[in-house]
Amino acid sequence: MVVEKAGSSPSKSAGDRCALQQEPLGHVKKSKRQVCDGFTVKAMMKNTVVRGPPLAGAFKERPTKPTAFRKLYERGELPIALEHDTKGNKIAWKVEIENLDYNYYLPLFFDGLCELTFPYEFFARQGIHDMLEHGGNKILPVIPQLIIPIKNALSLRNRQVICITLKVLQHLVVSADMVGEALVPYYRQILPVLNIFKNMNVNSGDGIDYGQQKCENIGDLIEETLEAFERHGGETAYINIKYMIPTYQSCILN
Amino acid sequence: MAKADIKPKSMHYAKKWSDDVENLHRFQQAGYRDEVEYKQVKQVDMVEHWPETGFVKKLQRRDNTFYHYDKQRECEDREVHKVKVYVY
Repeated sequence: MVVEKAGSSPSKSAGDRCALQQEPLGHVKKSKRQVCDGFTVKAMMKNTVVRGPPLAGAFKERPTKPTAFRKLYERGELPIALEHDTKGNKIAWKVEIENLDYNYYLPLFFDGLCELTFPYEFFARQGIHDMLEHGGNKILPVIPQLIIPIKNALSLRNRQVICITLKVLQHLVVSADMVGEALVPYYRQILPVLNIFKNMNVNSGDGIDYGQQKCENIGDLIEETLEAFERHGGETAYINIKYMIPTYQSCILN
Repeated sequence: MAKADIKPKSMHYAKKWSDDVENLHRFQQAGYRDEVEYKQVKQVDMVEHWPETGFVKKLQRRDNTFYHYDKQRECEDREVHKVKVYVY
């Protein structure tokens, strides 16, 4: 009995001690707890809270730089004119598109994809649309020069620019034969940003996503673009997309 | 030159979209009444059409700039009623 008592009393006292120790700590928590960075000497102290890691900034927009497209337009060296009509979605070309030097002008217009303001972004978008529509077999040899402007535009991580660039990419792969196949070696440049934004989808539950009709949902746009890549990219397209975007699922094989 | 005298007798607005309405829409966007007037003004015999769909491909405007049109339909339903159909 005595032994038991002796054994129980120290344990009790130990519990008391803990309670005693905790109370002042709780008191310190409220008054003097300081925040500091991890892995510093301060972080070892009892009354400190370690700050979490900083944001990596994967979704952060990058600043735009002035583009060559803007410079040339302001100098008046592009063969285009703005047409103020009721619809306002056409470019008046000063020369026939068939006579344009695609090697020079197509990369230049793609460079304008980085633009955010009117009229530059309008001219770039509409100019690319017209040139792809009427390009035919002149587009294929220029593909290698288009990759850097596309990559620059995507890596701005601006929502509006990404939307427009994705629509341009969808048009590009269907613009002529073999263009889809020619893009496959450049997936490493184009797809990383798509991988970042692929899950940016609106989870609206059973509500209605009103941007749907205008195709402004980045997640859906990326999915569509990847499917277009796969359909027009030949046999090796799928495995190359899967390599860059592991969560992609084939739209043909399944 | 007999063609140059041709003037439309009447005009009405299109009610429903069709291939002809689509082409008229393209001519009127470029600032002409229709193919007849375009040929009169520009003194050309042929207008370029898309081989796949038969729609007008390219028009030269009065200020000598060019309008290039898509292969597919451009005239949306909400604009069909603005297209003028001239009768000769």
